[in-house]
Amino acid sequence: MIGNDGAKISREVLPYLSPAIRKLVGNLEEHQLAGLEELRLRCGQPLFLKFADQDRTLNSQGKLQADLTRGYQTTLEDVQRTLASISDNSIYAFEEDIRRGFITIPGGHRVGLAGQVVSHEGSIKTIKDFSSLCIRIAREVRGAARPLLAQICPDKANIRNTLIISPPRCGKTTLLRDLACSLSNGDRGRSGLNVVVVDERSELAGSYRGVPQLDVGMRSDVLDSCPKALGMNIAVRALSPQLVITDELGRREDGEAVMECINAGVKVISSIHASNLDELSKRPLMQELLACHAFQLGIVLSRARGPGTVETLIRWDEGCS
Amino acid sequence: MLIKFIGMVLIVSGFGGWGMSGAHRLRGRVKHLRDLHMALGYLEKEITCMYNPLSQALENTAHFSPLPVARLFSATANVLRDKSGVTAREAWLQGIAQLQPVAQLLDSDYELLAAAAHQLGASDAAQQRKFLNTLQEQLKITEEKARQNMESGQKLWTYGGFLAGLLVVLLLI
Repeated sequence: MIGNDGAKISREVLPYLSPAIRKLVGNLEEHQLAGLEELRLRCGQPLFLKFADQDRTLNSQGKLQADLTRGYQTTLEDVQRTLASISDNSIYAFEEDIRRGFITIPGGHRVGLAGQVVSHEGSIKTIKDFSSLCIRIAREVRGAARPLLAQICPDKANIRNTLIISPPRCGKTTLLRDLACSLSNGDRGRSGLNVVVVDERSELAGSYRGVPQLDVGMRSDVLDSCPKALGMNIAVRALSPQLVITDELGRREDGEAVMECINAGVKVISSIHASNLDELSKRPLMQELLACHAFQLGIVLSRARGPGTVETLIRWDEGCS
Repeated sequence: MLIKFIGMVLIVSGFGGWGMSGAHRLRGRVKHLRDLHMALGYLEKEITCMYNPLSQALENTAHFSPLPVARLFSATANVLRDKSGVTAREAWLQGIAQLQPVAQLLDSDYELLAAAAHQLGASDAAQQRKFLNTLQEQLKITEEKARQNMESGQKLWTYGGFLAGLLVVLLLI
């Protein structure tokens, strides 16, 4: 599995890098590449490779280095050539993605963009003169949701409306993706469900030109780059889902759309940024949703024992944890 | 006497052919500038209306355009399709290099095309429209000047070639 990850990165990510960086990263063994989480190109700074919580760089021979000052210095040309490959030299074809700050490449890997932001009347018009790129490797962890399925689906006829609570980089997107896949395909004797994945940031399904690059299940429909509230409404009206899965609730209209789904008999599994119940209860959106008993189950994640560590299970339907 | 006559005919026809090829170059330049202007209009639609990626947009433009202008777009598209970290600027310059041996354009025309290289594909659709429109305008002005040159120079080259041939024959007799 790990070896496969390395080969996947070699095949899907390396061809987009500038020739100089591709040559250096290409020197890494597949088992080394397999643990890669992020690759950061910052103009005038060392090339960064993030493995779990460790930052590494590559020296001029392509060997991994802990001493970042001895790493290969990323040039503006590296950034420009990498961006040229990623965008197929067609910035105009990625206007909307650039406004959102990232481009998704085949394989579902996301390339975050930084440079000079051009804004107009409070909204981002475009980004130009790019100076950094952050390539985040998309990973599917098959079976990540299995230990939680018994809580989320207590019996064949019932799914609990579930909220995954987690700070960034704790595995909530990976968990949501595997839940979509498991519940859509059917698991533990349960028949599969019609699932709609509302993927506003193209993280869950990693869609490239509208086609999911990551497995979200055979009965899943993906609304890619679609605002969550709008997507949930479209899903209920047009796609007759039994379950809607979406990531990172945050705006008031997201909460209203969750209630619309639940009141229409559609189950919802979603996530929100918070480290614990205290932080969660301070968010006005959550106060409203909890008051309405929108969610029945809460799952708090951390990185205490690696991404996806379940810290707490909260049963709002029973009023106890 | 017969050999002398054959020699005179060869000299006059040789110079005449040279003059006619000069006139043909003038006509060819006008045609190629017009074809380039049309092709860039098509490329603009591919970019700003269809939002096709540049390699695809260039390939479609190559299918639309007559030879030899199509060669600029097909050669550029081929370089870009490799995705080997090459920029649109480099690919466009390679495309121009492929066009040069087969098109009847002047160095100043190639310089005009080359100046556009760094903007190709490198901005949003609105900026691309502005840049391609500007390039088309410049080509139109160049084409107009080339047409005036053609009208005044075509007869000069054709008749001039034959007259030069006759002059040489007279000098040799």
